[in-house]
Amino acid sequence: MQPFDYYKPKDFEEAFHLMNMPGKTVYPYAGGTDFIPMSRDGFWKCDAVVDVKALPGLREIKETPDGLFVGAAIRMNEIANSDLVKSHWDVLAQGAGSVGSEQIRNRATLGGNLCTASPCADTPPALYVLNATVIIRNAQGERKVAIADFFKWVRQTAVQNGDIVVGVVIPRPAAGAFGSYVKLSRRKGSDLSLVSVAALTFPNGKAANWRLALGAVAPTPIRTPAAEAILEESSDEAHIELAAKSAADTSKPISDVRASETYRKLMVANMTKRAVRMTLSRREKGG
Amino acid sequence: MLHEITFTVNDEPVTLAVKSHHTLLRVLREQLGLTGTKIGCENGECGACTILMDGEPVNGCMVLAVEADGHKIETVENLNKSGELHPLQKAFVEKNAIQCGFCTPGMLMMAKGYLARNPHPTEDEVRQAIVGNLCRCTGYIRIVDAILDAAKEVA
Repeated sequence: MQPFDYYKPKDFEEAFHLMNMPGKTVYPYAGGTDFIPMSRDGFWKCDAVVDVKALPGLREIKETPDGLFVGAAIRMNEIANSDLVKSHWDVLAQGAGSVGSEQIRNRATLGGNLCTASPCADTPPALYVLNATVIIRNAQGERKVAIADFFKWVRQTAVQNGDIVVGVVIPRPAAGAFGSYVKLSRRKGSDLSLVSVAALTFPNGKAANWRLALGAVAPTPIRTPAAEAILEESSDEAHIELAAKSAADTSKPISDVRASETYRKLMVANMTKRAVRMTLSRREKGG
Repeated sequence: MLHEITFTVNDEPVTLAVKSHHTLLRVLREQLGLTGTKIGCENGECGACTILMDGEPVNGCMVLAVEADGHKIETVENLNKSGELHPLQKAFVEKNAIQCGFCTPGMLMMAKGYLARNPHPTEDEVRQAIVGNLCRCTGYIRIVDAILDAAKEVA
């Protein structure tokens, strides 16, 4: 691995001073599970890393008036095993719990999963259906970016040089909301998603609202408004079939070493059905 | 850049100078001589370097050594420190859960960390727990049996 310097500031002032060292390329550093392999293989080059894990708030999970706050340095297993997250934001716990292996989930962080911005990342589809907001800070101040505006393209986000992602805020879904995260990969565990679907439903009077988000089948995660509208008419089997077809039409997968475009489109339909049925069954059982 | 770090390795306090870009795996093996932890893919895929950090299984190749400052690290060398084999080691021997042996230290540490959290796992849960530990001899059946056996012993 190419040498780099390492700093672990305890406050933002010092962090931004380090992030803006003249003439230096400085990366924020959290779990290391993307940074270390990318750096060792020479894809990412930097002069220094700023470990964000000691910054105020970045290791917190708490409920706030605006919803659930999850700090950027919270690990995947901490999300997957959190009773607070599971209480109203379970679809995020499901997404986090499906990342990599136990060992990876004990290091990989939410902030890292967002900033690496791999199209097949497992927490973003859940954050899309939950309408999360990403909180970003830099030397000038703090700004909030809706999750749908956060991802720009494959590995490109709203994060600029000198920014540090502080965490996400997720509104508490309406009472009676249920969600599911379904992931298809070549092997059952510790593999990247070929297709993933997050589904969330919540009551709206006598009707039900639906949100669906797809992962790994476009440059960024995507919502599927047409499929959601079909399910909002009815979630009977006929409508589930139609919604699944519509979601497949909305997706724009690529062919790569893991699967072909045709296969991925077919699987978008299948995984959408699975996610919707699983969500309905959770709603019936009440959990 | 050198950092002086103080941490606990196998219940012993250790202070040493480590380079920013060196992984914990490398420091354990090259600076502390603890070569029980194996170098496999160095990519977070194979689990041969699994160690416990504050009791939780992590890949030693995915942690910078400097990040271990103030933390508690346990490697496979700790399992039989008392001179007697750990119940997991005994179970691996009894079940012949070892072929070439390269994945074994990682399997043992993964199993130790996992059983501490879930002392009575089902077979399926054990299989899920070790998805991040590859055995290229493909001796998974005996490994899973050994972990289930050890669970009875440990619990």
